[in-house]
Amino acid sequence: MAAAMTADSGRVWGILLLFVCSSSQSLFNGGDSYKRELTVKLYPNTSSPPPGGELLHVRAVGGNDTLHFLFCSQGAPTLLVVHTDSPSSIVEVNWPQFVARNTSGSLRVEPQSSILYSTAVVFSRLLEYDDENNTAEGTSNFFPPYELQDFSWSPMNLSKPTAVICGSAPHAINGSLCFQLTVFGSEGRPELWPRLLHSPNSSQVEVWLDGLLPRSNTSRFVLELQAVGGAFPLSKVDVRQFIDDEYTPSIFKVSQWVSSANNGSDILGFVQWKPVAYRRPRPALEDATPCRHSEPQPWTGNKTTDSSALIKAFYSDPRAVGMNVSFGIAGEPFYNSTMFLSWTMLVGVGSPPVDSFSPLVIGIMAAGLGIPFVLLLVGGVCVFIMKRRDTSDAAYQPIN
Amino acid sequence: MADFEERRGLLGDENECPAAGGQGAGGASRPMAAICDPSHLLHRVVVLVFMCFLGFGSYFCYDNPAALQTQVIQDLNLNTASFMQLYAWYSWPNVVLCFLGGFLIDRVFGIRLGTIIFSLFVCIGQVIFAAGAWSNHFWLMEVGRFVFGIGGESLAVAQNTYAVNWFKGKELNLVFGLQLSMARLGSTVNMNIMGWVYSKVAVAVGSPGYTTLGISLMIAAGTCVFSLLCALVLAFLDKRAERILHKEQGKTGEVIKLTDVKDFSLALWLIFIICVFYYVAIFPFIGQGQVFFIEKFNFSPAQARAVNSIVYIISAPASPILGFIVDKTGRNVGWVFAAVIATLGAHMMLAFTFWNPWIAMSLLGVSYSLLACALWPMVAFVVPEHQLGTAYGFMQSIQNLGLAVIAIIVGVIVDVRGYLVLEVFFCACICIALMAVVGLYFVDYLKGGGLNQSAAARAKLQKETSTNAE
Repeated sequence: MAAAMTADSGRVWGILLLFVCSSSQSLFNGGDSYKRELTVKLYPNTSSPPPGGELLHVRAVGGNDTLHFLFCSQGAPTLLVVHTDSPSSIVEVNWPQFVARNTSGSLRVEPQSSILYSTAVVFSRLLEYDDENNTAEGTSNFFPPYELQDFSWSPMNLSKPTAVICGSAPHAINGSLCFQLTVFGSEGRPELWPRLLHSPNSSQVEVWLDGLLPRSNTSRFVLELQAVGGAFPLSKVDVRQFIDDEYTPSIFKVSQWVSSANNGSDILGFVQWKPVAYRRPRPALEDATPCRHSEPQPWTGNKTTDSSALIKAFYSDPRAVGMNVSFGIAGEPFYNSTMFLSWTMLVGVGSPPVDSFSPLVIGIMAAGLGIPFVLLLVGGVCVFIMKRRDTSDAAYQPIN
Repeated sequence: MADFEERRGLLGDENECPAAGGQGAGGASRPMAAICDPSHLLHRVVVLVFMCFLGFGSYFCYDNPAALQTQVIQDLNLNTASFMQLYAWYSWPNVVLCFLGGFLIDRVFGIRLGTIIFSLFVCIGQVIFAAGAWSNHFWLMEVGRFVFGIGGESLAVAQNTYAVNWFKGKELNLVFGLQLSMARLGSTVNMNIMGWVYSKVAVAVGSPGYTTLGISLMIAAGTCVFSLLCALVLAFLDKRAERILHKEQGKTGEVIKLTDVKDFSLALWLIFIICVFYYVAIFPFIGQGQVFFIEKFNFSPAQARAVNSIVYIISAPASPILGFIVDKTGRNVGWVFAAVIATLGAHMMLAFTFWNPWIAMSLLGVSYSLLACALWPMVAFVVPEHQLGTAYGFMQSIQNLGLAVIAIIVGVIVDVRGYLVLEVFFCACICIALMAVVGLYFVDYLKGGGLNQSAAARAKLQKETSTNAE
C-alpha cells in the first residue's frame, strides 16, 4: 500500500513518508507499555477430556490487579471475566461439584473481597430463519433453534494465546459452530479483519459457522447472546460512528454493549464489535456482510444458569440480559452462497478500546499539508529577498 | 470523462479560419426555405441539435459503471479493484489517441467519415460491454470499455471540429457552452436514471442478476445508436452544405509534433502535474463514489447516485459563469490555487467528517468547474501557438495515463485499506497538485510571466506589444 501510494509521487516523498511513519510509529508504541503476564490452566487436567466439556482459565496478572478469563464448554459456551484488585488473586474450582451443576460456589475467586467486577457472556442459541422475501427482518419463518448447550463440543485446542472449540448439533450430519478465544497480554490488533483494537484488559471471541447445512435455500442466521452479571450486567448498546475504516474497510461504526454502575458514565465492562460478519475464512471486501443487533432485553437468570455450568458455579444470583445478532441485510447473498459466516467481538473490563488514526494516515496528511505550506513560505521569503536586492541594486545604480 | 471540452474555447477563438469566407456565396442561385438553407441561422440551429446529441451517447455511457456500481459488483461478483478496471480500460487507448485523433480526422478519414467511425466504435464498444455483462464474462466487458474508449475521446474532437466548421465567426462560444452543458446533462441523466432502468428490467426479467445488468446496459447502448444516427445525419447535412456552399471539409487544424516536447517550459510541466494530480482526485472518485456514500453516510442507492452526480449538475451552469469571471479578472494562477484549496477542503470533509456529503460534493462541483476554466487556458500563455496542439495533446495523454493508473490503485486501496485511506490518498494527490501550483506561481513570478496578471494588465500589455509591432 505505502509503496503504491508513493510510487507516483517520487522517491523523495517515499523516503519522507517512511521517516514520518517510522518516527510516529515508535512514538505510538512507546506510549503504551502496559502489559499482563498470562498463565493458562485447563480443567480437568486429565489426558482424556470428559464428555461434558472443559474449563479454561487464563490468569492475566498486571501491575496491581488480576484479570481472570474463564471459558467453559460445559453446556452453552460461556466466557466469564473477573476483575480483581489484587495481583495475587486465584481461582478455586471444585471440579466434581462443577460438573454436577447443582450448586453455586463450586468456582470461587479468592480472596472474594478483591473482586471489583465480573461479567459473563453466554452463547445460548443459534437461530435460523427462512428469508424467502429477502428482507432480512428475522421476525418470522424461524426453524427450530439450535440450543448450543445440546451441542457436543470438541476438546479445547490450545495454542498460545488462543483456545478453539468446535461443536456440532445433535443430529447434524456435517458442519460445525466454532468459538475461538484469544486473550492478550498487551495492546495490539490481529492480522485478520475486522482487526479490532484490543487492550490488555480485553479478550477476543471469534464465532464462525462452517458448513452447517441450511434448512432452506434462503436461510439466514441469528446468534443469541446473554450477558450475565452480578449487580451490573451489560445493559445498553451504544453504536458509535467512527471515521476511520482503514482496519475494517467500509465499516464506519462500532457497537458496544456496556455496563455502568447506576447508569453513571464510568464503564465497568463491555462487549465490543463492528457490525460486520464475513462470508469466507480469509475474507476480501466483497465477503463482508453487515449485521444488526436487537435491543437488549432482561432475561430470567435461572434459565441461563441451567444452560451454562460456569454461570451456575460462579453466580448465586445472576442477572441476565439477552440480545440477538443477526447476520446479513436485505439483498445480501444468503448463507448457502458460501456456507460460512464469521463474526468477532471483544469482551473486557473497563472502557472499550478507542481506535485512532494510523501513523500512515497522519504521516500522509502531515506531509501533504506541510510541504506546500513550507514551499509557499520558503518561496515567499526567497522572492522577498530577491525583491529587496533588486531595489537596493536599483538604489545603488545612480552612484555607479 | 476527461476534460476535452475545456480546450475548445481556446481553439475556437484562435482558429478564425479563412474557410468561412466562402459561405453564402454559392447558395444564391436558387431560393430555399430557411430551414433547408445551409447559410441560414435556422438551418444551423437544426445542425446544432444533431451536434449536441452526437456526444450524448458517449457521455451517457461513460459513467454507466458508476451509476450501476452496486449492481455490477454484486451481479458479476467483482471486487472494487476489478470494477475500477472498467475505467482504466477506457483511459488506456486515449493515452495514444489524444495525439492521433486530430491527425485521423484531418488526413485519413475526413471529418464526416471520421465522426461516423468514432460513433461506430462507441456504439460497438457499448454493445460489447453490455454483451459481456449479459453473458457474465468480465473480460468481454473490459474489451467493450477499451473499444468504447477508442471512440469516445476522439468523438469529442470530431464534435469540436464540426462546431468550428459550422459556427466559426458566429455563435461559436455559445455553441461550445451548449455542447458542454449537453455533455454534463448526459452524465447526470445517466447517474440518475440507470438505477431505475435496472430495477424495471429486474422486474421484467424476474430477478436481478447479470442478465438484468446486460439488458440494462443494452438499453443504455440505445443512446449510442441515437448518437450514431446523429453522426449520419450530420454527415449528410455537411456534405449537402459543402455542395451548396462550396466550402471545405472541416479540419481540426491540430499539428502534433512530438519533438516539441523537449522545448516545453518548466511552467508547462507544472501545469501538466496540476492537471494529472487534480483530475485523478475527481474522476476515479466519482467512478466509485456511489458505494462510498452508501457505506459511510448510509445513503440509499438513489440518494448516493444523486449526490454523486451533483458535480456534473453544478458544472453545467457554473462553467460558463466561472469562465466569464476568470476571463474578466485574469489571475489564473490565483484561481487555480483557490480551486485546488477548495477541492482539498472538500476531500478532507469527506475523509474526516460525517457532515452531509452534499456540502462537500457541491464544493467539489464548483471548484472543479473553476479549475477547468482557469487551468486549460493557461497552456496558451506558456506555449507558442504552433506548439499548442502538441501541448494539449500531451496534456490529455498524460491525464488519461494518470486516470488509468490511479483507477487501478483506487480499487486496490478500497479493497485493502478502506475509504479513509482512499480519501487520504486523494488528499495527497491534491496536495501534490497544490505544490505544483505554488511552484508555478514562483516560476512564473521569477520569469516575469503573465500567468497571474489581471485581465486589465494583460490587455494593456497586448496593446503595447501590438503598437510596438506596428
